[in-house]
Amino acid sequence: MKRIIIDREKCDGCLNCNIACISAHEEGSNFYTVNMQSPDAETRNFIKFDAQKGYLPIFCRHCDEPECVLSCMSGALEKDPLTGHVQYDESKCAACYMCVMNCPYGVLKPDKRARTKVIKCDFCDDKPDGPSCVKACPKKAIEVKEVSL
Amino acid sequence: MKIVIIGASAAGISAAKTIKASEPDTEVVIISKEDSIHSRCMLHKFLGHERDAKGISFIADDFFETNGITWHSNTTVIGLDAQKKTVKTHDNQDIGYDKLLIATGAAYFIPPIPGLREAKNVYGFRDLKDAQLLDSECNTAKNAVVIGAGLVGMDAAVAMLMRGLKVTVIEMTPAVMSLQLDQKSAQAYQQLFEEHGAAFILNDKVVSVDVDEVGRGKTIHLASGKAVPADVIVIAAGVRPAFSFTEGSGIATNHAILVGDDLKTNIDDIYAAGDVTGMAGIWPNAMKQGRIAAINMLGEKLLYEDRYALKNTVNFYGLTTLSLGNINPEPEENCNIFIREDRHNYQKVIIKNGIIQGVIIQGNIAGTGFWQYLIKNKIDVSGKNKDVFSLSYADFYDLNQDTGEYNYAV
Amino acid sequence: MNSNFSCKTCASADQKLETFISNLSVDTSHHRMEGQSVKCGFGLQGICCRLCSNGPCRITPDGPKGVCGATADTIVARNFLRAVSAGSGCYIHIVENTALMLKKTAASKGVLKGKVALAKLADIFEVAEADEHVRAEKIADMVLADLYKPDYVKMELVEKMAYKPRFDRWKELGILPGGAKSEVFAGVVKTSTNLNSDPVDMYLNCLKLGISTGLYGLTLTNLLNDVMLGEPSIRLAPVGLRVIDTDYINIMITGHQHSIFAYLQDRLIQDDVIEKAKAVGAKGFKLVGCTCVGQDLQLRGEHYKEVFNGHAGNNFTSEAILATGAIDAVLSEFNCTLPGIEPICDELKIKQICLDDVSKKANAEMKPFVFEEKETQSNEIIDAVIESYQARRAVVTLNMAADHGNDDTLTGVSEGSLKSFLGGTWKPLIDLIVKGEIKGIAGVVGCSSLTAGGHDVLTVNLVKELIAKDILVLSAGCSSGGLENVGLMSPSAASLAGPKLRAVCESLGIPPVLNFGPCLAIGRLELVATELAEAIGVDLPQLPLVLSAPQWLEEQALADGAFGLALGLPLHLGLPPFVTGSPVAVQVFTQDMLNLTGGQLIIDDNAKSAAETLDAIIEKKRKELNI
Ligand SMILES: Cc1cc2nc3c(=O)[nH]c(=O)nc-3n(C[C@H](O)[C@H](O)[C@H](O)COP(=O)(O)OP(=O)(O)OC[C@H]3O[C@@H](n4cnc5c(N)ncnc54)[C@H](O)[C@@H]3O)c2cc1C
Ligand code: SF4
Ligand code: SF4
Ligand code: SF4
Ligand code: SF4
Repeated sequence: MKRIIIDREKCDGCLNCNIACISAHEEGSNFYTVNMQSPDAETRNFIKFDAQKGYLPIFCRHCDEPECVLSCMSGALEKDPLTGHVQYDESKCAACYMCVMNCPYGVLKPDKRARTKVIKCDFCDDKPDGPSCVKACPKKAIEVKEVSL
Repeated sequence: MKIVIIGASAAGISAAKTIKASEPDTEVVIISKEDSIHSRCMLHKFLGHERDAKGISFIADDFFETNGITWHSNTTVIGLDAQKKTVKTHDNQDIGYDKLLIATGAAYFIPPIPGLREAKNVYGFRDLKDAQLLDSECNTAKNAVVIGAGLVGMDAAVAMLMRGLKVTVIEMTPAVMSLQLDQKSAQAYQQLFEEHGAAFILNDKVVSVDVDEVGRGKTIHLASGKAVPADVIVIAAGVRPAFSFTEGSGIATNHAILVGDDLKTNIDDIYAAGDVTGMAGIWPNAMKQGRIAAINMLGEKLLYEDRYALKNTVNFYGLTTLSLGNINPEPEENCNIFIREDRHNYQKVIIKNGIIQGVIIQGNIAGTGFWQYLIKNKIDVSGKNKDVFSLSYADFYDLNQDTGEYNYAV
Repeated sequence: MNSNFSCKTCASADQKLETFISNLSVDTSHHRMEGQSVKCGFGLQGICCRLCSNGPCRITPDGPKGVCGATADTIVARNFLRAVSAGSGCYIHIVENTALMLKKTAASKGVLKGKVALAKLADIFEVAEADEHVRAEKIADMVLADLYKPDYVKMELVEKMAYKPRFDRWKELGILPGGAKSEVFAGVVKTSTNLNSDPVDMYLNCLKLGISTGLYGLTLTNLLNDVMLGEPSIRLAPVGLRVIDTDYINIMITGHQHSIFAYLQDRLIQDDVIEKAKAVGAKGFKLVGCTCVGQDLQLRGEHYKEVFNGHAGNNFTSEAILATGAIDAVLSEFNCTLPGIEPICDELKIKQICLDDVSKKANAEMKPFVFEEKETQSNEIIDAVIESYQARRAVVTLNMAADHGNDDTLTGVSEGSLKSFLGGTWKPLIDLIVKGEIKGIAGVVGCSSLTAGGHDVLTVNLVKELIAKDILVLSAGCSSGGLENVGLMSPSAASLAGPKLRAVCESLGIPPVLNFGPCLAIGRLELVATELAEAIGVDLPQLPLVLSAPQWLEEQALADGAFGLALGLPLHLGLPPFVTGSPVAVQVFTQDMLNLTGGQLIIDDNAKSAAETLDAIIEKKRKELNI
């Protein structure tokens, strides 16, 4: 499967991966027009800073054994057997947030607006050229690579 | 090989899926009482008329066909012969197995209170069937009483509030959801429910129920002397693992079916997973047990180690809470309690000797998944030398260079 | 060098140039685009603030305000006003130097080539002095006096220069500028840490800077230069890389301050200097035009036929010009002198001399122009260039592009030369507009940038769309450098125009795109617009006239843009000026401006739809004028 491979040493915390992710999920927007102040502006990736380690990109791993899927009681989270990506079906989700509790890396979060859905990386699987965050990273700190499942 | 699974819920389905994913040729037979697979965690959405029966399913419509699984729906197992390796159903079929998984979950329990067991309008809130019966009651009833303000009782209450009933919740302890919340965080939910029309009677006990001439409970009497009128009554005072059909089979049980780390019972080829093992009462653990039992049934060895079950998330009216571990420690436990709050958030962390014992995060629970890992793995955070509320996965960040997956650096 | 060398260069509207550049072994801006293709979204939206040590603060869903509390609206407005202030400062620097030059030239009884311009200025400034040198000095003094006023004292020439209805509107809005240099100062102060946070106040301030920039930095710079260097006159001239003649010692000039070269360019064609050139094997000296100062020379080329060989290209052509190997020295006095030329000069042993320290290049010799020492300075420069020529020509391989460009670009268009061409009156042009033979006028100005589709791409495509709609295009700035090189300023380009405009052009023998020269000449466009409005008896916003800076590049362009908006003109930009992160900014520029000045910002990087929008505006204005 394809996974976003992280080289944290290269990350400089510019947060363009955040913008790209928000834009990828705001229909018809681009880097100029994406509304960063909208209540629906949500990033699916996170950059943390640590005084010793520097910038730490936290991106959904689409885990080999995804704890989020194992905790989902509605069937909304499934690991796609073909792509290996963990996909989320908002229409099934019950907003119970067991998945938020179970992702060991703190990747998942409820939506800000109403807490009726989960904000999760979809690997931009609907985008022809792959993860938007990766394309937006000026440092190539994140890159898509094939890993064996 | 033929594997029979009793129960088509979290544990049963996750086991079947695991088996079919790794050995598609293994014959899998599932037997369950219901004919419509559903997630009981979404019963309130059904009762509240947010979703229909299909809408609370947690599997794809064609799950059984695509996975080549035989499903005996509407079928109750009433007996088990471990020698002959067969299970007996209510309609007198004997279904043979090479390996058996018992994933029959739990059933609600009605305390022996005068009138309560007899009254016809008393329902549990465990199954779709329960919810369907309640649903038709809600069409006419005005006053609903929920006995027990645990998660299940609150689910029932929220659904009936949505249906426009006047709902009174009666609870023995001084607060709602006392297993998951502390006083402060419980108060927030109570207030929200009250704003939506619910009434709470806490610190009180049902002592009897008046039953009318047609057998319906009408008035509920409390230890305090209060009397509450009721058209429909929901009992949410706890569940018991459901394994009565194993009687005489030789399977070792106490209040639950006893299993080892490999989730095998004392009898070879018979495994148990989910609520029926009494090890947890929550969905993720039932799923995981189902998965691990399946792997072991297929001859591999995988131990159930992720036993941690003192965990829950709550989401009512958009107020979300994460609750983990020992959240109401006794003074003699000598824990350090840290609390931080602002207008929108209440956070509490209980630490002893650098090890996190419990956590309540109410409000913004984004990215809080790491806490569970810290608690269940008893990770010492004292060396982090930082404000405990600022911890995140970043403090344990580690990458597996080959697979790109994360590890915990501890 | 070439550590960043990448073989993928960006597109260019000019095919020959694109091919030439893609085959170069030196690294150019066109090569570096690839490595800079991933842009910072916060920068693009203007929502990054570095005004204090709490920063950089960026507006994100989790951080909707800066640490200090600044909103996206405040951050964007501060960034924008800072940029406009800086841009204004650049143009004010130019007009200050130009006025000083005129003052010294006049005081030293130097040659004043532009008698018409002098008379015109004396008329506007109401200067009655009979002696032309005294008159010129007085005019220069008046300009300088205004520039040096404090910000709380209004500049006096604004009222004299501005069109009355505009002046009145500006007065009503309270945006009449104080001393132009002080206004830059005020803009910088306002936008510093925890000072102004009112976006609307800051945008009004931008308009104020737009007025001082436009009237002084642009319009007056042209007219003062005309006095010293001679007025433009219309003629056909060669353009492109072909203008470089390898038989000569070639000096490429970059910048915006033509008058700095005034003495040198005359000196280069004096016999003793030509002899020096011959002594080392060259036929003499030639100036090769590049950037706006090249455009300015081209514009006045009639006066400099011998020394000026033609305009080779605009800002992002400068590296290519050097890469031909036939340039022996670069003399620069302002922007747009790209840092990217430095390694090329090193590699090709090209001498660099900077004549104004504001544009000191890292590896260049600094020789600040001093009026009183211009004779010795010029001789020193000439010797240094000869030395460079001798040292390099034998060892450097030439890589010429003789087929690039053309020989028949119509240049020398100005408010004066155009009017004389029309017979000394605007009536013929107005009649054509009224009859609809010319639907309207578009001023296509500004720079080239490489982001909007590539070098000159949007400019050229937009202009083609506009002329096809019978809209006459007037161009000033690096945009004209691109347009001329692709042949749109040659009379034969008439065939690309719509049927009506084509007929007009063919009968007059002119192209449908008129070349006003450097970006400074945006001031000339304003003069044309004002004179037309005056002749018709309407205010500027009512004219069927639009502005576009499709490939605006830098802060100066933003100050120009502010001038356009203050004039009340619709202004199209290909890419947003780093403001889209602020809802208030978008509202002010695209909507509210209509009520304030009559101006309006249109952002569109698509040539076709942008042209349609501009065409619709022109149609609407025609309708409102009942024509
Ligand atoms: C109202 C409600 C809300 C809940 N909300 C949450 C929540 O938000 N998060 C969470 O983690 N957990 C929640 N839970 C708990 C969670 O639903 C259970 O832990 C989980 O369902 C256990 O799964 P299981 O597979 O072990 O058993 P069960 O879900 O109990 O399923 C038992 C299965 O066995 C079948 N069965 C039982 N006996 C027989 C028999 N004799 N013959 C044939 N079939 C039989 C049943 O028909 C059923 O298919 C909730 C529970 C309830 C009741
Ligand atoms: S959300 Fe968390 S658990 Fe689920 S796949 Fe992503 S990283 Fe893994
Ligand atoms: S919140 Fe939705 S996706 Fe997450 S576990 Fe609950 S139902 Fe599944
Ligand atoms: S892959 Fe797409 S959805 Fe996932 S983090 Fe990147 S931009 Fe967001
Ligand atoms: S875009 Fe790349 S460098 Fe920037 S924060 Fe994200 S991962 Fe780091």
